[in-house]
Amino acid sequence: MNQLSGRVAVITDSNSGITQAQAKELGIRVLPMPFMIGEETYFEDITLTQEEFYERLEGGADMVTSQPSPESVLTLWKETLQEYDEIVHIPMSSGLSGSCQSALMLAGDFEGRVQVVNNQRISVTQRQSVLDALLLVKRGMSASEIKAFLEKDKFNSSIYIMLDTLYYLKKGGRITPAAAAIGTILRLKPVLQIQGERLDAFAKARTAGQGKSIMINAIRNDMENRFGGAHADNIWLEVAYTKDRETAEQFAQELLKEFPGFDMVINPLSLSVACHIGPGSLAVACCKKIR
Amino acid sequence: MTNTIDAKILAKMFLAGAKNLEAKKEWINDLNVFPVPDGDTGTNMTLTIMSAARDVAAMENPDMLSLCKAISSGSLRGARGNSGVILSQLFRGFTKSIRDKEELDIPVFADAFEKAVETAYKAVMKPKEGTILTVAKGASVRARELAKEGCDDLSVFFEEVIRYADEVLEQTPEMLPVLKQAGVVDSGGQGLMQVLKGAYDAFMGKELDLTIGGETTGASSAKASVNAQAEMEIKFGYCTEFIIMLSRNFNIKAEMDFKEYLESIGDSIVVVADDDVVKVHVHTNDPGLAIQKALKYGALSNLKIDNMRLEHQEKLFKAGQLPEQESPKEPMPHKEVGFIAVSVGDGINEIFKGLGVDHIIEGGQTMNPSTEDMLNAIEQVNADTVFIFPNNKNIILAANQAQMMVKDKKIVVVPTKTVPQGITAIINYVPDLTAEENAETMSGEMSNVKTGQVTYAVRDTVIDDKEIKQGDYMGIGDSGILSVGEDVADVTFRMVQEMMNEELELISIYYGEEIREDAAQGLKARIQEAFPSCDIELQYGGQPIYYYIISAE
Repeated sequence: MNQLSGRVAVITDSNSGITQAQAKELGIRVLPMPFMIGEETYFEDITLTQEEFYERLEGGADMVTSQPSPESVLTLWKETLQEYDEIVHIPMSSGLSGSCQSALMLAGDFEGRVQVVNNQRISVTQRQSVLDALLLVKRGMSASEIKAFLEKDKFNSSIYIMLDTLYYLKKGGRITPAAAAIGTILRLKPVLQIQGERLDAFAKARTAGQGKSIMINAIRNDMENRFGGAHADNIWLEVAYTKDRETAEQFAQELLKEFPGFDMVINPLSLSVACHIGPGSLAVACCKKIR
Repeated sequence: MTNTIDAKILAKMFLAGAKNLEAKKEWINDLNVFPVPDGDTGTNMTLTIMSAARDVAAMENPDMLSLCKAISSGSLRGARGNSGVILSQLFRGFTKSIRDKEELDIPVFADAFEKAVETAYKAVMKPKEGTILTVAKGASVRARELAKEGCDDLSVFFEEVIRYADEVLEQTPEMLPVLKQAGVVDSGGQGLMQVLKGAYDAFMGKELDLTIGGETTGASSAKASVNAQAEMEIKFGYCTEFIIMLSRNFNIKAEMDFKEYLESIGDSIVVVADDDVVKVHVHTNDPGLAIQKALKYGALSNLKIDNMRLEHQEKLFKAGQLPEQESPKEPMPHKEVGFIAVSVGDGINEIFKGLGVDHIIEGGQTMNPSTEDMLNAIEQVNADTVFIFPNNKNIILAANQAQMMVKDKKIVVVPTKTVPQGITAIINYVPDLTAEENAETMSGEMSNVKTGQVTYAVRDTVIDDKEIKQGDYMGIGDSGILSVGEDVADVTFRMVQEMMNEELELISIYYGEEIREDAAQGLKARIQEAFPSCDIELQYGGQPIYYYIISAE
């Protein structure tokens, strides 16, 4: 925490893909997302590893994600505020979870010292928001200025995810509009997109090769038409995956051929996303670099 | 000595040409290089020219302009298959050049032949020599020479043009190796010669029967039920018939519901249930609705849909009354983008519908839909932009021709040559992209799909250095015959082996109506064992004539 000797702390949840260990290095706090498997509650990266998670998921376990309990949120904030003057809290997208709504409500009692950022990020783009927030803290911005900045910037990110199967999406029942748009007797790999609040069906592919080229074209299109051009100094490029790191690394190599010289991060998707889309998913995301 | 002809003689010559082509169509069908039980050049060209001949036959004392219009628009609408489309373009160019003339002499004919050839070459993306185009060009070159030499006897002119074009036709095997190996001349070129020869006979005053039959659409018999009263106004335009092979209980209640539904969309309803099939007949403006409803009860067979307005119009035309254009109502809700696929086989049709296809044109190898079939489908699909997937290389030109004829909608022809290419193309459609971007993506992805199709040989031949006997099974790939033999599973398996390479991830097997599911399962297991790293997907296609359609991508 030494490098963060300023007045503003940054907090996020484990959906950002930032592990507890990485959080220590960055000088931030990460709220673990809870899971219910059967009767038992687990916490991502604390009482449940990625390996254990996929073993249970593929074994057919019924998994339910939930929000961090209000108590855990309040405790973390109170602890943090002993050391810091203000908190920037960056939860997962309000389009995908009620965590943000709850946090906004809880923050009402802190007289502006806790600023909850509602910028609709998830996974690698949420992680980038955290890094951006740290940069803004260094620049001397207050928590409310950072919140305003990040919320203004919220649409400057884009995610495409190719699923290996529709099974988990259907099983979870949570993302039905996206699943319902793809009804056919052929086995397809759906490609979903996250733009702001919206998680939607984007396209479909028959093979992983087709899916990857659909995602590459889509992300290039976003860079050129929405984020001011596909230039390395303008865009962060990110790859995320569920379970299969090797495939993700291979995909990252293919992306770097398409986008040479780009900064690239490869991260596992957080478990609360993974339990809805299943193993073998592959995602590409990009965020516009902040000035 | 005759040195000019008028519209009346030209009309007679055109009809005689059409009749002669029709008489020789089976013989021309046999000239097809691939001994497959379809892809019939003679049939396609005949249907194309007959579409115009019916209009011409209905005219009494035609003037040049209306004769030209009838020939041009009739053949453009009726065009089927590549050779049919090229023939229609030859007529289009030819008539464009003469439409303002009262009488035709040799220099005018020379100009018209040249214009015809120029127009036809333009209609084909990559013109190939050794085809109907080459024969037409031969005729026009000789015509120009004769005109320059000052020939002024039309009988000499025609005879000499035909003689020379025949010589060119005899040369086609030297230009296209596949023709040489199969020991045939080009079938489209031969079709053109038959038109020219028939026309010449008429010019020479041979006694010919020039009555044109009204019925040319494939194998249909029960069309007599269509009301022939000339003054009748048709309220529901499509005579729709099919048989439901029941997969669900069809009790009295279901029958009543189904009839009631049909009554809400049409009239002349017949629903006859018999154990496990139901025969259905309805006149409606939206056959798709009837079909969709029927699919809830089971698979469909013996589908037949006829446009009664067009037939009606033709009868009125013959009776000398000019019909008024009437457009059928469009019950389909309006959308931005619509999809039309050419397909055959209930399983494959179902797959296309599941992928979002709005309208299926029944057809494929066995029956190439005409440009007019495309135009009707386009009219039914109530969308600003319509994508067409021809799914056969012999249908792409007819689709392109339809595209050029439609003004009020944006038509995008994705040049899919096989059903699997069509499936992959439509899967890769991305709603967020523009039509142009989609056309590009879809065309790119479809070219990564390899297709193999298994059928039987209708005669002995040699292709790609493979000797084929009548009745043999053949596995046909994207660029030729991959395997031949006497066992359908073996031939299919060897075809797949030929298709595969290391980059391919997915093999899809669509089995036809004559293949039993357990046989298809057996083949799947065999392919899976040979290619353990590939995903294999087995689907019922229900297509006729092709035992298996297989794709690898």
